Amino acid sequence: MSLAEAPANAASPQVTEIRPDRGLFDLDLGAVWRYRELLLVLTMRDIQVLYKQAALGAAWAILQPLFAVVIFTIIFGYFAHMPSNGIPYPVFAFAGVLPWTYFAEAVRRSSTGLVNDAELIRKIYFPRLIMPLANVVSPLLDFCIAFVVLLILMGFYGIAITPKLLLVPPLMVVAALLALSIGLWLGPINVRFRDIKHTLPFIIQIWMYASPIVYPITMVPQQWQWAYSLNPMVGVIEGFRWAVFGQGEPHFTSLAMSGVIITILLAGGLVFFRRAERTFADVI
Amino acid sequence: MSDLAISARGLGKRYQRLARSEQHDSLRDVIGAGARNLFASKAAREAREVRNSFWALKDADFDIAKGENVGIIGLNGAGKSTLLKLLSRIVTPTTGTARITGRLGALLEVGTGFHHELTGRENVFLYGSILGMTRAEVAAKFDAIVDFAEIGEFIDTPVKRYSSGMYVRLAFAVAAHLDPDILLLDEVLAVGDFAFQRKCMNFARQLERRGSTILFVSHNMFSIKSMCQRVIYLKKGQIVFDGPTAEGLKRYEDDSRLADAPWFKEAGEEGRSITFTKVELLNGRGVESNVIDFGDRITFRLHYKTDGRIERPDFRIGLDREDLIHTMTFSSHQDGVDIPSVEGEGVIEVRTPPIKLTSNFYVANLVVRDQKGGMLAAQIGGHFHVRHPTLASTFGVFNEPADWRVQAERTAEPVSEVSRGVG
Repeated sequence: MSLAEAPANAASPQVTEIRPDRGLFDLDLGAVWRYRELLLVLTMRDIQVLYKQAALGAAWAILQPLFAVVIFTIIFGYFAHMPSNGIPYPVFAFAGVLPWTYFAEAVRRSSTGLVNDAELIRKIYFPRLIMPLANVVSPLLDFCIAFVVLLILMGFYGIAITPKLLLVPPLMVVAALLALSIGLWLGPINVRFRDIKHTLPFIIQIWMYASPIVYPITMVPQQWQWAYSLNPMVGVIEGFRWAVFGQGEPHFTSLAMSGVIITILLAGGLVFFRRAERTFADVI
Repeated sequence: MSDLAISARGLGKRYQRLARSEQHDSLRDVIGAGARNLFASKAAREAREVRNSFWALKDADFDIAKGENVGIIGLNGAGKSTLLKLLSRIVTPTTGTARITGRLGALLEVGTGFHHELTGRENVFLYGSILGMTRAEVAAKFDAIVDFAEIGEFIDTPVKRYSSGMYVRLAFAVAAHLDPDILLLDEVLAVGDFAFQRKCMNFARQLERRGSTILFVSHNMFSIKSMCQRVIYLKKGQIVFDGPTAEGLKRYEDDSRLADAPWFKEAGEEGRSITFTKVELLNGRGVESNVIDFGDRITFRLHYKTDGRIERPDFRIGLDREDLIHTMTFSSHQDGVDIPSVEGEGVIEVRTPPIKLTSNFYVANLVVRDQKGGMLAAQIGGHFHVRHPTLASTFGVFNEPADWRVQAERTAEPVSEVSRGVG
């Protein structure tokens, strides 16, 4: 047994204070940092578990967006003759579906993750913030796999890659932060009211059609452009296409909008989450 | 102050107890209730909040020194688990503070955090991290953990294919290697088979020798006695005793008896017609005690009181083991004892045959049935331990020595008869 030689942790005893109220702005992000390995481990768990006992395994990360693209290509590209700014429609759609799939999955997981791990919440202490964080990070792997497929597809259609491709990671960070700031609100609400779980698929679907995924942003009438750019995902998706295809302009208004919404939702979400967190174990 | 591991002041937790009609499980209910509340006065709202809440733990003050082992005892619902959950920060207190010095490990349930689809190896890392270990720490202790759990080559099999024993052993092995300064244990030592339980107890002793502080919730008074010098006795959310183990257990055992368990009367309407007002439990020497030596006869002295006249009642004493295994029942009807009727107050004395139940904790349930088998009364009649140095639950429910004939092969030795040795 390794007990005998183990150091008695005597160096600097950690002191924990347990109090009823921690104050509105005591976010205790230090605790999240101390548990950063748990973030890694929970992310790994989500990834490992997702495709366990699926015969095709991680191929689903490619197949799911690919199916969506095939359907969109048939309906919108072939039947409806949707314009796609001179880019072959399948690639055009794929470049929209990719960041969207990541975003939708991150929102879904971070909103329902707490409830799915109710047993953990009830029996073990750890900074609860780790949960939505891991939920937002884990679908990035699927994104990366599918992104490689997109590059192959572009090569197939003879579309050149430009240095703008380097802007994909920062755009994905924006998508991740946006998903996190939504998850910080919906997660705790879902702990109390499971209605969120049932409402979410509709919200995500409506949101998808309100984003330039199956159609180009130029289809949106001029007088509605301002309202359209209130959708923070518009900037991410348009920016993504711009970075990948290297043509057109990034949608700066919408990106700025994303920034504003993220700042407000994230700051408020952190405070909200920390307040709600205290009763998770009681009501989950 | 620095030699205190835990210091709690006025620690309390209040829960809302909502009537079913007031439970808000969906948004629709909340909106409805909110609309109603809009028209209720603030005072009325607050009054309802107080009425609908209860204190799972109230005004708990205690200090636990470093290296101390403290048992927490109390009936179900007395607040034991709430106390551990507060200290482990799973729930936030309503009032009071607690100061914890050192690394705290809490084992409230073995194996939550395991993921069924993952292999044993993956789960060791997952569960270790959840409990607060670093990956490097888990990696360094990995072999010791697998060794301790006696899992062997199954370590790379998904845990959903494990037997429940393997599952629990692996989970406990991870938790046991947490090396905490303060360990909160909730009945988890009662897992696995006898050999593994002994291993766990040894491990806890090793922690103790290392100077770890252990808080131990258990219904098993023997474990408490052997592990703790001090007990905190909780009753209805309040600390009613904090001091030496022997004295605390005495108070607990006194309280556990009939007089304080009226809540258990769950018989039907007509069942109110007979109640047991006092139950005495005498050991083999005729002394009132909760510890019975294996093979002793127990005497139950049942003091009853009826509201009316009961014809031909069937008095029954059922003995349930700690894990709710119903081991045996004594019935006056079955034993051919004719009790024509009972009325008013009286005493019934039941002397059992030598008790051959294996060493464990038992509950005696008292039941009275009428002629047609209808339930007139059902109450807890007391708790007791059966004591034996070797015969534990690994031997099953009950033990009676057999006649053994041992014949050695290829020798001309005569058949030797091993005589029975009760003891």
